Amino acid sequence: MSPRNPGTELDLSWISKVQVNQPAVLRRAQQIQARRTVKKEWQAAWLLKAVTFIDLTTLSGDDTYSNIQRLCYKAKYPIRKDLLEALNMHDKGITTAAVCVYPARVCDAVKALQVASCHIPVASVATGFPAGQTHLKTRLEEIKLAVEDGAMEIDVVINRTLVLTGQWEGSDFIKTSTGKETVNATFPVAIVMLRAIRDFFWKTGNKVGFKPAGGIRSAKDSLAWLSLIKEELGDEWLKPELFRIGASALLSDIERQIYHHVTGRYAAYHDLPMC
Amino acid sequence: MRAGVIGLILPPTFSFLEMMWRICPALAVGCTVVVLAPPASLTPLLLAQLAGELGQFPGILNVLSGPAALALALAAQPGVQKVAFCGAIEEGRALRRLLAGTGPELGLALGTESLMLLTDAADVDSAVEGVVDAAWSDRSPGGLRLLIQESVWDEAMRRLQARMARLRVGRGLDGAVDMGARGAAARELAQRYEQEALSQGAQVFQAGDVPLDSPFFPPTLVSELPPSSPCAQAEVPWPLVLASPFRTAKEALAVANGTPRGGGASVWSERLGQALELGYGLRVGTVWINAHGLRDPAVPAGGCKESGSSWHGGLDGLYEYLRPPGTPPRRPCHSQDLNYDTFGLAVPSALPAGPETGPSPAPPYGLFVGGRFQAPGARSSRPIRDAQGNLHGYVAEGGAKDIRVAVEAAHQAAPGWVGQSPGARAALLWALAAALECREPALASRLQRHGVQPKAAQAEVELSVRRLRAWGARAQAQSHSLQVAELRGPVLRLREPLGVLAIVCPDECPLLAFVSLLAPALAHGNTVVVVPSETCPIPALEVCQDMASSLPAGLVNVVTGDRDHLTRCLALHQDVQALWYFGSAQGSQFAEWASAGNLKPVWAKGGCPQAWDQEAGGAGPELELRAARTKALWLPMGD
Repeated sequence: MSPRNPGTELDLSWISKVQVNQPAVLRRAQQIQARRTVKKEWQAAWLLKAVTFIDLTTLSGDDTYSNIQRLCYKAKYPIRKDLLEALNMHDKGITTAAVCVYPARVCDAVKALQVASCHIPVASVATGFPAGQTHLKTRLEEIKLAVEDGAMEIDVVINRTLVLTGQWEGSDFIKTSTGKETVNATFPVAIVMLRAIRDFFWKTGNKVGFKPAGGIRSAKDSLAWLSLIKEELGDEWLKPELFRIGASALLSDIERQIYHHVTGRYAAYHDLPMC
Repeated sequence: MRAGVIGLILPPTFSFLEMMWRICPALAVGCTVVVLAPPASLTPLLLAQLAGELGQFPGILNVLSGPAALALALAAQPGVQKVAFCGAIEEGRALRRLLAGTGPELGLALGTESLMLLTDAADVDSAVEGVVDAAWSDRSPGGLRLLIQESVWDEAMRRLQARMARLRVGRGLDGAVDMGARGAAARELAQRYEQEALSQGAQVFQAGDVPLDSPFFPPTLVSELPPSSPCAQAEVPWPLVLASPFRTAKEALAVANGTPRGGGASVWSERLGQALELGYGLRVGTVWINAHGLRDPAVPAGGCKESGSSWHGGLDGLYEYLRPPGTPPRRPCHSQDLNYDTFGLAVPSALPAGPETGPSPAPPYGLFVGGRFQAPGARSSRPIRDAQGNLHGYVAEGGAKDIRVAVEAAHQAAPGWVGQSPGARAALLWALAAALECREPALASRLQRHGVQPKAAQAEVELSVRRLRAWGARAQAQSHSLQVAELRGPVLRLREPLGVLAIVCPDECPLLAFVSLLAPALAHGNTVVVVPSETCPIPALEVCQDMASSLPAGLVNVVTGDRDHLTRCLALHQDVQALWYFGSAQGSQFAEWASAGNLKPVWAKGGCPQAWDQEAGGAGPELELRAARTKALWLPMGD
């Protein structure tokens, strides 16, 4: 894990000096997706790198041990072994960055990962996910219980009431949204957040991580996200300690792209193990 | 109606887009095009071949490959009505001198430098992206002059340098690069500028992923260049950015307007009031607010000052290839043996041949400069003879010094006049018309003394009064908003005054021509220096007596004297923004040649008399177009 963000004094004048010009940011967002296209073996390499950033997520009402176990196994072996062997990457220990589940399922996830002898962290959403409209007492209790069960990372939903009334909190990572809204991770929003991360680093020397979540389904999108981070923040942020992608279906699309790169053919749904 | 045959001259480093911007509108309005392309480029030839395959209309697009010296031969062909050129400023100047008097109108679009104003209320990150678009990408036309407000200097420089480190330079067709190369000549120009800047003590920062071999040149940021060094005034080549600080918005405008170029500029500020103030104050052809380099076929793009005055895109782009119905085609008036060095240099002495007979004349008219009549610098007068050869009166012999004083007076009056609301301008013109109406009998009798028939004289005076009133009514703030696809937010086409307009009146219709030229110039917010008819300046001077009381001082300045000499002074003056010449053919040629000094737009008719009493000649749309310049103001919106 990256060193914790020690935080700074809340300086609202810093925030009020920030100017964001929306049309210009939209133009930049369009540009990012068009330039920096990666092809062939470099694309395969970038896709494998993208896999290492994924927080493989399942946040459904009907999660049980069986699908959590399948998820954890997929987290340990995200890409089919023979495809990795064809790329000569089978011994690099490629796994996803973490597994992300509801607090009640943390136990199951920890157990499944132990059985698979995989050391990736379990992340838990907490604090009244996704709306965040529960009492502070229960929210703190949720976090405590999740950590006791073995969660190493917590995705906290901030109290939007406090935000909208101007009362702020600090964090190690900032996430675009819960992933359960109608509009989730879009490039213009991300550009503004990344610029804020960079400004914070320049001012205080502390690196805050970034996690877009929700709506990232295709491998092409994930490559655009990677190049966005690379352009705006640099290679230092292209590490699981500072960058995560919250996704579930993305992994299958990446695997299909890798299958196509290795074999030259398009995979059927049943060719690749599900998460 | 369409102009006729258009000649297009392409410089050695033209871009395909620039060529199409000129060929397409010309063809669209019905002109035919002859392109003179540099010998090494094949693209225009391919285009002509494709055009030839259209079958039904052979010859609408013709391409010649040859050296630039052929431009003279092209312009001298009968039927060529306009020659368009886009390229470097010095080449444009040389072309203007070469083609003086040949007949076709010359449209110049010169220079590639753009300007950016970064205020402290800007979104600096987005402005940095704007800099990348403006100077460090394949879309950039040229280099960038970047003015940064002092309070955000450090922040802006840091972000610029960080952004430069991420740029990638390589072969243009590689999908993942930002910038390609533009040939050895461009690289040499950039290198030379960089060396010179370094030798003057500037800081040069270069970064980015650049292949070491030529002809790639890295993105470059030059700062701390002393403003007095020669390369601070020169055009910034691609891919360089010259950054300089400013303290207040007012200073920014002064610095930004302090170069001879006036192409495109962007203003970055989230404060609407400040952004608009700067946008309106910049003397450039296009202003983008919080954006840079946006283009659309429906929006006119062009420049002012030494960036030439020809437009592409929008209405103005089409007007380039049209002429008003009823105007005759242009004819050449070129004379090989016109000596530019001696034309109008000496003033022929006008001493009377013998003692004067007849009644003692009235005291001589002075020059009407700065709102009052003054004696000329040379302290001499010239006699004006009427149709019978008798002495009508004396008028001042104006010289170079008087022109200088007149232009200064006009510049002093300009801000006040521009600041007047259109209604106020209209009121003043109507007041002048009313004063003229009272003076109708006197004016008519003056005209009759010069051989004009009584009825015609009366009609001329009445028409002059009507024209003044009509132009007064048309003095409106002209700006309308254009429809641009893919842009949320308005784009305004503003019509702004040129500045100081020099008008040399014809000998025919001494009063009517004077008024017909003066009125549109004033109505559009210009201040003028007028040289009235050489043979009959007295009606104009009578009008000045009314102007002394009804118009602000310095708005109209009338200088009488030897027309060629005064034309020489005005055409060579670097601070006159435009020249309208209606004198002789030789004078037209000289005016066009001399305008190359500051590339002022010259409207010269080659010595052909105009039908001033006709609407087309005397009050037509051409006057309206030429009395003001266009500016496109882009206002992308969104929050």
